[in-house]
Amino acid sequence: MAWARESDFSDLKEPFKTLEVVENKGTTSLHVRKEELLNLLKVLKEKKGYKLFLDHSVVDLKDILEKDKDFKNAVAESIIAFPEDRVSRFQAFYILFNVDEKKRVVVKTRTKETLPSAEKLWFACKWAERECYDMFGIKYEGHENLVRAFMWETYPYFPLRKDFPLEGFPEEELPSLNEVIKGDKLQGTMNYERKHTFIPTLEDLEITERKRLQKKAQIVLNWGPLHPGTHGTMWFLFDLEGERIVQTDVILGQLHRGVEKLAENEMYNQFLVYTDRMDYLSALCSNQAWVVAVERMLGIEEYVPEKAKYIRTMLSELQRINSHLLWLGTYALDLGALTVFLYCFKEREKIMDILEGITGARLTISYPRVGGVRMDLPLGALEAIKSFTGRFLKELRDWERILTRNRIWLKRNKGVGVIPPEEAYFYGVTGPVIRGSGIPYDVRKIDPYDAYAEVEFDIPVGEEGDCYDRYLVRIEEMKQSVRIVEQCVKKLEKLPESAPFFAEVPKEKKIKLSMDGIGLKVPTSEIYSSGENPRGELGFYVFSIGAIKPYRVKVRPPSFYNLSVYPYLMKNRVIADAVTILASIDPVVGETDR
Amino acid sequence: MESVALNLAVAFVKILVILGIVLGVGAYLTWVERKVAAHIQRRPGPMVVGWHGLLQPLADGLKLITKEDLFPRYGNRFLYNLAIVLALVPATLVFAVIPFGPEFEVFGYKIKPILTDVNVALLLVFGLGSLAVYAVALAGWASNSKYPLIGSMRKAGIIISYEVAITFAVMGPIILAGTLSTYQIVVNQIEQKLWYVWIQPVAFVVYMFSLLAETGRVPFDIQEAEAELVTGFTVEYGGMKFGIFPLVEWYIEVLSLSAIAVVLFFGGWSPLNIPFLGFVDPLFFLGPLSPFVWFLLKVTALFLFILWLHWTLPRYRIDQITEMAWKIMLPLALANIVFTAVIAPLIWK
Repeated sequence: MAWARESDFSDLKEPFKTLEVVENKGTTSLHVRKEELLNLLKVLKEKKGYKLFLDHSVVDLKDILEKDKDFKNAVAESIIAFPEDRVSRFQAFYILFNVDEKKRVVVKTRTKETLPSAEKLWFACKWAERECYDMFGIKYEGHENLVRAFMWETYPYFPLRKDFPLEGFPEEELPSLNEVIKGDKLQGTMNYERKHTFIPTLEDLEITERKRLQKKAQIVLNWGPLHPGTHGTMWFLFDLEGERIVQTDVILGQLHRGVEKLAENEMYNQFLVYTDRMDYLSALCSNQAWVVAVERMLGIEEYVPEKAKYIRTMLSELQRINSHLLWLGTYALDLGALTVFLYCFKEREKIMDILEGITGARLTISYPRVGGVRMDLPLGALEAIKSFTGRFLKELRDWERILTRNRIWLKRNKGVGVIPPEEAYFYGVTGPVIRGSGIPYDVRKIDPYDAYAEVEFDIPVGEEGDCYDRYLVRIEEMKQSVRIVEQCVKKLEKLPESAPFFAEVPKEKKIKLSMDGIGLKVPTSEIYSSGENPRGELGFYVFSIGAIKPYRVKVRPPSFYNLSVYPYLMKNRVIADAVTILASIDPVVGETDR
Repeated sequence: MESVALNLAVAFVKILVILGIVLGVGAYLTWVERKVAAHIQRRPGPMVVGWHGLLQPLADGLKLITKEDLFPRYGNRFLYNLAIVLALVPATLVFAVIPFGPEFEVFGYKIKPILTDVNVALLLVFGLGSLAVYAVALAGWASNSKYPLIGSMRKAGIIISYEVAITFAVMGPIILAGTLSTYQIVVNQIEQKLWYVWIQPVAFVVYMFSLLAETGRVPFDIQEAEAELVTGFTVEYGGMKFGIFPLVEWYIEVLSLSAIAVVLFFGGWSPLNIPFLGFVDPLFFLGPLSPFVWFLLKVTALFLFILWLHWTLPRYRIDQITEMAWKIMLPLALANIVFTAVIAPLIWK
């Protein structure tokens, strides 16, 4: 487990009076008072080597503080910082990663409403703080640009607070949808609620836009939300001087569905289907990350049968190839190489067919379950995969011949969108983006889950950190994924057909584990567990109070933090580079907005 | 009096034939392009309308014509429509000076298969080519929208850069032929037993680059770069008004400039050339039709080459394109002129 030990922080007890170090089963956390928070973060970053910012958010403890039983349980498991403080409603947490020693730590603090802003330490934190402001109404002191992250500016509520109901406050008359025409009473599914929650009007959007960007140059170009180059519904504002971009801002939230709020109201297995819809291009990897997180909380990781682990690993690597293929196709399409797009989609289709044959779904898969997988591999699945991996590398070589040494391709990619290693930490990027900058950060190696500890593969890294390096890294990752898939196939062929694919948990653990996961209670605990998605580290911070539903789930979306580097990269570049850089970051809006 | 009437009648017939061929072929080149692209991309392409999608261009045209005519608010309607005319007319006019074959006799009347054999034909071609920039600039300006404006500025920048390069590139063949008349250039090549491409390869390469740039083909299609500017200066056009721009840019202009390239560098309607020795005609069995077929074959080959590039390469960035025009293409073309001036006397004798 990649967590720091208590002894690592013994020298910090002196300067920080309120510091408590707690080693839990799933996390190691530093509890500190709000006043000393910023200093502690600074020391951790500059002296202790916790340079990479992973995540920051807030847990609303309102319900726990009101119920004595839950509170006592939570205190007994020491997942609440400073339990003597029963007034401060919010518990903020910062998850940091030590790059040299490869371990994580969680910093926690409590607050009523305000927090100091850590935007000077990590730019990524600036975006995370905006999200917390949006969702919880936390005011950050010293934040340069505290505007809403997902909701529009005139929205009056803070949706992730516990006193905000799941269905929202129905306040507005819905136009036309529920109109009762000429006294007809609409029956069944046509009988809508007359009232509806807020939806933004055009004026609201205009106010939001105005608030984002102060025009400095000639034209403000609205790039998106519906634009073929933005890979989804992202809204960029470019302030243009001729074709040169002076400043950039991103307006997110076009696809915001409140997945984290939904998670609090769903059972652990039910939330699985929402992970599909976050990063819809790599649904299996997201499923896997979530399932592994819950298994770790339950402490049943070792009971998951080998077969299930290998199947999950194999399929999520296929999914990684699938996702990278879509990236390669659209990247080439953005740069004008139209043909590669169709080549990629042809191969992608074959992976989709394989996945469909095994799991029954093509896009939103939901195949893994807490404790294993939904069903066994069908007959002939391994042969299909083998025939695919056999020819895929040849196809890949063909495409590389079109692109990799192509002079135009080099001209468009070399030296464009350079992220130096220090900036990579500052902006909290992960996945191929950070590896393109030469940092071998890969969750599959740092904190191996499922069968990743047992298979052999290399982590490709770049040298310059430009778009071309990120391109090479992703291409190489596909080859490595093929390697992993081949090893998994070999292993699965050796396993007997009757081998179990779902966990049997011994009776004394008292865990009600079933395929549908109904009534599965997760003990009072917290965990930060992550998986390596094709786009970067997809982390789940889960806070449980022993119920059948999680108390709080914070998703660490890799695309969201990867995207935060975009305005920095776009400074003084032309519009043509906007597509190159955006495509090389490869965000998925379903995930940035959740 | 009789000869004037006859001349007029012949000219009229020529105009009809050329217009018919150009516009008809232009429309059908969309089908060719779609088929070629499809096969490069390992898919069948249009297969539904007619045999192998042969009626697809008609269906497309019908669809475009019956579409609603949209006009952007606060746009300039006069300039908006003028841009279409300015795009279509100069591009089509170029065909007036393209010789399709050698002189032939019908009923004792000598006919040159060229509309007007003027002695400043090449000047006319590049003058008309420069007019294209007005169409693009006006289209971008009149649309009152940001993407078209950026797209048209890009295109104008490219055309201005490559106009210079292309003009200097064709100087080579002109010096060798000693005339600006397109018909005469071909005749001179046949007399000198030499396709000019053999000693003007540099000029040919510069010409091809400029051709791609002026017609907005990949790798220079930045004015419409879908991923960046949606479709560039045509964003606000709809229906057939939109259809005219790609038709002109991608097909008629490519066709006319390819034809000019064939005239300048590949000896027009002449068969295969062995430098300084003579011509070999594997199509001799076609008799008097052979020159026309040769001309057609050469233009087709160039067109297919351009399609091949279009569906294979990525695109350049605007600054890289203009940089290439001024820093590489123009010096190359100038050096080529000096080189040509030195060796021209050898060719002339």
